[in-house]
Amino acid sequence: MALENLAFLIPVLPALAFVITFFFGKKMPSGGAIIPILSIAASFIISLLITLGLLANPEEVVSQSIPWFAMLNLGVLIDPLAAVMLTMVSFVSLLIHIYAVGYMAHDPAKPRYFAETSLFTAAMLALILSDNIIQLFVSWELVGLCSYLLIGFWFEKPSAAAAAKKAFLTTRVGDVMFLTGIIVLTTDLLKLAGGIPEGGYLLRFNEIFSYIPQLSALEANLFGLKVSHLTIITLLFFGGAVGKSGQFPLHVWLPDAMEGPTTVSALIHAATMVTAGVYLVARTFPMFLAAPDSLLVVAYVGGFTALFAATMGIVMNDIKRVLAFSTISQLGYMMLGLGVGAAIGMEAVGISLFHLVNHAFFKALLFLCAGSVIHAVGTHDMRELGGVAKVMPITAITMTAAALALAGIGIPGTSIGTSGFFSKDAIIESAYLFGEHSGNWLPYGFSIAAALLTSVYIFRLIFMTFTGKPRSNYGGHESPASMTVPLAILAVFALVFGGLTQTGFMQFLEETFSNNFVNLDLGRLAVLGGYELVQSASAEPTFILWLPILVALIGFGISFVLYYLKAVDLGVLASEKNPIYKLLYRRYYQHEIFTEFFSIGIVYGVVAFLAQLVDVLIDSIVESISIVTVAAGEALKRLQTGVVQTYAAVVVAGVSLLIILIKLITEVL
Amino acid sequence: MIPLSFYLGLSALLFSIGLFGIMYHKSGIRLIMCIELMLNSANLNLVAFSSYTDTLDGQVFALFSIALAAAEAAIGFAIFMAIYKMHEKINLDELNLLRW
Repeated sequence: MALENLAFLIPVLPALAFVITFFFGKKMPSGGAIIPILSIAASFIISLLITLGLLANPEEVVSQSIPWFAMLNLGVLIDPLAAVMLTMVSFVSLLIHIYAVGYMAHDPAKPRYFAETSLFTAAMLALILSDNIIQLFVSWELVGLCSYLLIGFWFEKPSAAAAAKKAFLTTRVGDVMFLTGIIVLTTDLLKLAGGIPEGGYLLRFNEIFSYIPQLSALEANLFGLKVSHLTIITLLFFGGAVGKSGQFPLHVWLPDAMEGPTTVSALIHAATMVTAGVYLVARTFPMFLAAPDSLLVVAYVGGFTALFAATMGIVMNDIKRVLAFSTISQLGYMMLGLGVGAAIGMEAVGISLFHLVNHAFFKALLFLCAGSVIHAVGTHDMRELGGVAKVMPITAITMTAAALALAGIGIPGTSIGTSGFFSKDAIIESAYLFGEHSGNWLPYGFSIAAALLTSVYIFRLIFMTFTGKPRSNYGGHESPASMTVPLAILAVFALVFGGLTQTGFMQFLEETFSNNFVNLDLGRLAVLGGYELVQSASAEPTFILWLPILVALIGFGISFVLYYLKAVDLGVLASEKNPIYKLLYRRYYQHEIFTEFFSIGIVYGVVAFLAQLVDVLIDSIVESISIVTVAAGEALKRLQTGVVQTYAAVVVAGVSLLIILIKLITEVL
Repeated sequence: MIPLSFYLGLSALLFSIGLFGIMYHKSGIRLIMCIELMLNSANLNLVAFSSYTDTLDGQVFALFSIALAAAEAAIGFAIFMAIYKMHEKINLDELNLLRW
């Protein structure tokens, strides 16, 4: 089919746009924005058409590959999982690019901005349609690089430069773990396959998956515990995902990452960066399913992150910071959704990706709305805002729609509800099932508590920003159409996408690992991993079904009372005198603990000490060698008199000695 | 017929004179003259052996050697001319710029 042969163009077009915009953007109107927009639009259309084709026939995935070198290949794989991601990423990225034309209108460095975002999108698209782990890793690193460049877009600001560095270094911790995982995996595969196989690509996903039973049987001894190699590999992969997707404890870069332009935050938080970690876990889900204990770790880390970030979200005063913590929290939900695969198997990928896509819509919308407010009003601080709804009605309406989606407002048992409602409730219900089935109730508790806090912080943001009286003097006007139209489109998606696609979406994704590329018996893999899957899902009690929406409404109520009616004066409670508030406001002293104590104190201290050691030990050896050499040279240079006669005399003496020697030897012999 | 050892003796004498001259004299011109002497002692050897063994090889080598000596003398004198233009004399003891 002709369309399949165009699949490789999906990442190539934005990459080309990067080159063109980077070198020729200055000569084009509005910084050459039209090139990335057109190329991403083309990528979106190709992705959409392939997805539609795949919807009709989910067995026939697009899979092409060419040899690269040795056992590696470059390839394209578009199965349901990749198709959904591709379409979402290119669509959201397209809208953000269109919006950015208005948002970045006054920035002199537009060509650089559009070139970098275009490369960012290209890297993410390449990551999604990789059919082998190495290609995925290369794109993964490229995504990291672009995030560094874009977070530090305004690099003249020291805080932006620092945030970029922090993001790069923090995700690097995860990247190193991911790379270690790949190395362990490759060594094991080479051992199992007995060398590089002829004509096969060992690191292609279908090959990797076919070795899962043997990998699972390999055992290593770690600290006296017998651990399956598969568990080690998957946990190292998860380490990479933790770094990229901002899970505890590597989430610290994400709140700082809003030093870049707001549109970049939207890209990072919604489409191109943080979802890569979730996608990695989903892509290698069969390995996680066959690895004992891995999914439990994923579920606990995800659940904890969801709650942990939400608690900080409720006290932040910076509008973008609230949204950043919200992203971390929602990513926690997605990881939790994957983790509960321990109980529900392949369905987990469905619900997690469903939340990922819905989240991309409403989170991009939230950031773009925040950007719209910042663009018009010129401040991030919610304490200085208030009453913005009067000057920016479209932004206010669309942001409220996004807030409803984030809080997950809807009616259980029907298909009425916002996008976030269907996906988040599915995750929370699965977490309940997981708790009921395996006795791990903690993730469920985390997810319910986080749902309450989510609702509180997002409506706090809405009320503080859009209602009441202005708390400072700001001018302000509604944003231009190039900004409001993407907002409106995203708002429609945030409201209705989940409701329209809820059943079809998950069924589609459950087909990911049974097609002409890979065909896996996930039930058998779950047995290898020691997970008991729920065979027949009994209906949850009605109370459980209604609990998420109930806590969301309670959260809304709390925010309404506190920040709209202002019925209770928060005075002392919401100040640094309240130790809990202070703890949250200072973000659990993470800066002090992670950055100042751990990174600067311990890591930097140890490195500085080692450097000192190297100086003293190694350098002294090197220096003594050089001192001896120089001294010997000083002493021996006297031999070179520079007088020809001396040399001649030495030569004659040498030759004479040689002749005598030869004579003597021949006499003796 | 003069015995071969006479030729070899003369050749060794000439060579020793040349070698002594190289090691003893400071002047560049004398140096080259001494080198010529040593080369010619070798030529004498070659010709003597050639005559003694009744072949022509040695004489051909001697011709080569004379041509080589001429070339060497030409280059050597050219270098010394250049040095003379700078220093007004050719004293090998004082040509030690690259010593240390």
